Amino acid sequence: MIKRVDNSILEVHDLTVSYHNKPVLWNIDFDLPSGIVAGIIGPNGAGKSTLIKSIMGLISPDQGYTKIFGQPLNEIRSRVSYVPQRESVDWDFPASAMDVVLMGRYSERGFWGRYNDEDRKIAKQSLEQVDMLPFANRQISQLSGGQQQRVFLARALAQQADIYFMDEPFAGVDAATEASILNLLREMSHSGKTMIVVHHDLQSAYDYFDWMILLNRRLIAVGPKADVFTDELIQETYGGNLSILATLGNIMQQKDYPK
Amino acid sequence: MDFWFNDFWIILCGSLVAMSCAILGCFLILRKMAMVGDAISHSVLPGIVVAFFLSGSLSSWTVMLGATSLGLLTTFIIEMLNKRGGVQADAAIGLTFTFLFAVGVILIAANSGNLHIDQDCVLHGEIAYIPLDIGTTIAGIEIPRQAIILSVLFFVISTLVYLGYRGLFLTTFDPEYADAIGVKTTTWHYLLMAAVSLATVVSFESVGAILVVAFLIVPAATAYLLTDHFPSMLLLSCVVGILSSFTGYYLAVYLDGSIAGAISTMMGVFFSLAFLFAPKHGYLAKRLST
Repeated sequence: MIKRVDNSILEVHDLTVSYHNKPVLWNIDFDLPSGIVAGIIGPNGAGKSTLIKSIMGLISPDQGYTKIFGQPLNEIRSRVSYVPQRESVDWDFPASAMDVVLMGRYSERGFWGRYNDEDRKIAKQSLEQVDMLPFANRQISQLSGGQQQRVFLARALAQQADIYFMDEPFAGVDAATEASILNLLREMSHSGKTMIVVHHDLQSAYDYFDWMILLNRRLIAVGPKADVFTDELIQETYGGNLSILATLGNIMQQKDYPK
Repeated sequence: MDFWFNDFWIILCGSLVAMSCAILGCFLILRKMAMVGDAISHSVLPGIVVAFFLSGSLSSWTVMLGATSLGLLTTFIIEMLNKRGGVQADAAIGLTFTFLFAVGVILIAANSGNLHIDQDCVLHGEIAYIPLDIGTTIAGIEIPRQAIILSVLFFVISTLVYLGYRGLFLTTFDPEYADAIGVKTTTWHYLLMAAVSLATVVSFESVGAILVVAFLIVPAATAYLLTDHFPSMLLLSCVVGILSSFTGYYLAVYLDGSIAGAISTMMGVFFSLAFLFAPKHGYLAKRLST
């Protein structure tokens, strides 16, 4: 089930990606409307992170291309932001939360420019939005995992982009951070921004997202969650993984879930 | 020449090399690339020899150009072996610089008759001879050629880092994010590597490859233990470099030994002190806090 949209802001055309000649993603082709929170859902090794990295051009695909706001990626880089997995950097780096958030203002100031007061103001607002302003001058190594995740979100916010790719922002965070991220996702989508979030936990996925992209090496389904979160499609995504199907059964009983 | 001036020039030149290398070293160790500095400082050798052979002089632009391009070639080969060839990063570094250094040694040995450089001079340099080679005289003060060259080097490196601070900081901390927002990560990488190559080449004649490697790694590693604030780390690494040059020189005078060796030794002493007594990351602080 792949829902087609008019006025899409993200178009992914026939994307095929491989690592060391082993295909990871096959013929991914879909588009997304603006102002939604979309979850990329699938089992481990389904190629979820690879998908967003290829959309952003961090991995070059064997075939296919993406367009954002109808333009090739390189034309609109500054309108695209990215929240990498928390583990992708060394948090012992000598930097404060503020230093990291200011990085979000880099493109605004160019190659030899310097950050100005406006950048600092925007960085502070971004920290405020994730309830991290009191920690602005704290060394990043002294923050908890959830706080580090929020610093990463604030950096993306400081960029004032229109489309956000997030790689597992909910992985291993505390309840306060989870609430803060969710709040933020809702607020941002209401103001017309588009958030595309890699997420591995099927249980929470239905609560978190408006749209879902079900992925397991190939695209299983894309669409509003009510259309996509169905028995067969989830089964198709997770294959014969029985333990997951069992928990899924429980979720379905608990929720008034569209049959 | 006044004996005091001798001391002054040697310590000044040592400090200029120390600061230039320490600043770059801070970025190298945070990029987990300390050994790339080591590799570059060795593999510029064939570039120096070939350029020397062509131009007949050790202090020409040809030599600087030849060696800097060899430095960039080294980083390029390391990247290729690692990213495209699937060789592990450390193995790629080891393969590349031992090979290029060996080529350089062979070139020197094969041409030893008509070249006035040898392995000894390349490895150890001769910082003690700096005051003997006068570049110019201003207001009656004889200024050694190396002091002028190394001042220019320090000016170039510190200007580069000052102007490119944000880009270097961003691409060092999170290259993937930098790529995603359209920052030319590769350009910054090669800019930094070119600076390391340049610093190595310019310094090698005065202090030798081994001291250059020590200057690239030890002051930065010491400063890393002392602070969590990157600008302070840059500053502290320079302070450690200057202190090592100063104390190392007088240690060498006292022992009547090699100046480069004594400076390296003092760097080791400062690092050990930081390792043991650094306020937050030192061994004792960690033991006491747990």
